[in-house]
Amino acid sequence: MSTLTAPKVDAPSTTATTAPFGLMAEFRTPAEIMDAAKRVHAAGYRYWDCHVPFPVHGLDKAMGVRRTILPVLVFGAGATGALVGFCLQAFANAASFSIWALVWVTGYPFLISGKPLMSVPAWIPVIFELTILLSALSTVGLMLLMNNLPRLSHPLLANNRFRRASDDRFFVVIEARDPKFLRSKTEAFLKSLGASHVEVVEDR
Amino acid sequence: MASTFAPTADLSDRSVLGDSRLVRVSQVALLVAFACAIGAGLFAARSVDAHTVAMVWLQNGIFVLTLSLGSLFFLLIQHITSAGWGIAVRRVAEAHAANLRWLWIVLLLPMLWLHFSHREWAGYGHGLALIWPWADMEHLAAAHPAEAAIVSAKNAYLNTQFFLIRAVAYFALWAGIAHWFVSTSRAQDASGDQALSRKMRTFAGPALIVYALTTTFAAFDWIMSLSPAWFSTMFGVYFFAGTCAAGFSMVAFTCLRMQSLGYLRGVITGEHYQDLGKMIWAFGIVFWAYIAFSQYMLIWYGNLPEETVWFLARQVGDWSWVSVALLFGHFIIPFVLFISRWTKRWKATLAFGCIWMLAFAWLDIYWLVVPVVPSDVATFTTYEALAAAYEGTTTGLSNPLNFLMLGALLGLTVGLTARRLSKGALVCRRDPRFEESLRFENI
Repeated sequence: MSTLTAPKVDAPSTTATTAPFGLMAEFRTPAEIMDAAKRVHAAGYRYWDCHVPFPVHGLDKAMGVRRTILPVLVFGAGATGALVGFCLQAFANAASFSIWALVWVTGYPFLISGKPLMSVPAWIPVIFELTILLSALSTVGLMLLMNNLPRLSHPLLANNRFRRASDDRFFVVIEARDPKFLRSKTEAFLKSLGASHVEVVEDR
Repeated sequence: MASTFAPTADLSDRSVLGDSRLVRVSQVALLVAFACAIGAGLFAARSVDAHTVAMVWLQNGIFVLTLSLGSLFFLLIQHITSAGWGIAVRRVAEAHAANLRWLWIVLLLPMLWLHFSHREWAGYGHGLALIWPWADMEHLAAAHPAEAAIVSAKNAYLNTQFFLIRAVAYFALWAGIAHWFVSTSRAQDASGDQALSRKMRTFAGPALIVYALTTTFAAFDWIMSLSPAWFSTMFGVYFFAGTCAAGFSMVAFTCLRMQSLGYLRGVITGEHYQDLGKMIWAFGIVFWAYIAFSQYMLIWYGNLPEETVWFLARQVGDWSWVSVALLFGHFIIPFVLFISRWTKRWKATLAFGCIWMLAFAWLDIYWLVVPVVPSDVATFTTYEALAAAYEGTTTGLSNPLNFLMLGALLGLTVGLTARRLSKGALVCRRDPRFEESLRFENI
C-alpha cells in the first residue's frame, strides 16, 4: 500500500495521461486574432474564448458573442427594490393589517408634523436607496454568477506561455469539452488560422 | 515647435461641408420665424394684455436660451474631460452654443427697453415691474404690503440697476466663452495646431466655474425673483438640469436631422447617438428628477408657509395637471424610454425622445415662469380651502400666443444655427482625437 501513497517526484508522464483542458493558439496582432475569431466562430465551436491584453473593439462581434441579459435582470432587481421599499413603508405606516414573520407584526402609525400617514414624498428616499441597493448588488452578484466566479484556479493560469496574454500576445483557446473538439483536427485547424504557436493546455 | 495634426481618414464622400441644403433649411426656418413673429405681433396687439405678452416672451426667450446654454455646457465638459468620442458631434454643439453671441438681442434688449422707457403698467407698476414685482417697490408696498416687507430686505440685490448690470454681465460672459471656444475650434481647422486642444481643455475649467455661477444667478434673477418673497437655494441647479435636457436633446436632434439631409454620413454613428442619449438620460432626465424632487421634498417636509406657497401655486386648478405631466413626461416616461441601449441607437426612437424632451423642457420653463402665487394665500387656513377657492385657475397654455412666440424664437434660433452650419466644415477634422472619434465604440 505504501507504493500507492508515495509521491512520484519525477514523473511528468502522469500529466500527459489526463485529459487536456484544450488547445491554445497564440497570435501576434489584434488583426490576426480578429480574423481567427471569425473563423473559429464560423467553424461552429461553442466552448472557446479569446484572451487579449487590451480591449479589441469588435472582437465580441467577430466571436459571435450575444449581448448579455444582465441589464434586463438588473432592471428587474431595481424594480423589485422600488416595490419592496414602497410596500415596506406602506405596511409600517398602516395599522389595518398584520403579517406573520415568525410572530404577528403590525405597522406603527406615527403622525409626524401633521403629514398624512401615507405620504409618498417622504418614502421616495427609501424607495430610491433600495432600488439602487438591489440594482448594484444584483449587477455585481449576477455578473460573478454568469462568469462562474469566484474561482480559485484555472488550467490556463498554470501555462507559462499564457502569461503573455496580459502583455503582448493574443490567444484563442478551444476547450476539450466542445462537441466539435478533436485534438488532431482542431490542432490543424488552429494552425491553419495563422497561429504563431499552438499547444495543448493540460487540465490540472 | 508646435505639433500639427493632419487627419488620414478620407472624408470626401461623407458630406462634411455645409452647403445649399443647409441654406435652404435656414431660409425656411427664418421665414417661419418671420411669419410667426408677425402673427404674434398682430395677435398680441389685438387681444392680449401687456403682462401676458411679457410673460410669454420671457418664457420662450429663456427656452431658446437653454438650448444654447445646454450646448455650451456639452462643449465645456467635452473639452475638460478630453473626450475623444464627441469630436464627431462637436461642431453641431458649437453651432448651437454660438447663438449665445446674439441671444442678448432677444432677452436683454427688451429688459433694457422696459427699464428705460419707465412706462407705467396698470396694476403692475413702472418699468420692469411688468414682469418682476420687486422692480417697483412703491407699487408693491401699496398692493401687497406683507410681501413688500419681506422683499425690501432683499433690495440690496434685487434692484433694477444691479439686475441690469448682472444681465449684461451674464450675456457678456456667455457670449465671450462661446465665441472663444467656437473660434478657437475653427482656428484649429485651419492650422491643425494641437496646442489649441490643450488650450481649450485648460480654459474649460475656469469657463465651467463661470458657467455654473452665471446660470445659477440668471435663474435666480429672471425666474426665481418672479415670486420675490420665495427662495430656494437649489433653484439654479434645477434650472441647469432643465438646460441640459433642452440643450443635449437639441444637439442630438440636430445631428439626426443633418444626417437625414445627407450630411455627416459615416461620421456620426449609432455609437455617438448612444452616448448622446446617455447624456440626455443622465443629465436631463435622472439628474433633473433628482434635483426637482430634492427641492420639492425639503420644502414639503419643512412645511414653512413662505416656502410652500410657491408649490401651492403650482398645484391649484389646472396647474396640478401640469405638475403631474412634468413628473411623468420629464421623468418617468423618458426614463423608461431611454434606459435601453437600442432606443438610444435607433434613430426613430432617439428622434422621438429628443422631441419629447424638448417639449417637456419647454413645459418645465412654462411651469416655472407663468404660475402666480395667490396674493391672499395667507388668509386661508387649510390647503383644501385654498384649492377650492382657486379651483378655476387656468394655465393659459392654449393661448396661441405661446406657440406663435415659440415659432418666432425657435425659428430664429434654428435658422441662424443652420446658416452658421452651412458656412464651413461640419467636423473638427484636425483635432488630434478626430479619428479616435470616428472609430469610437461603446464597450
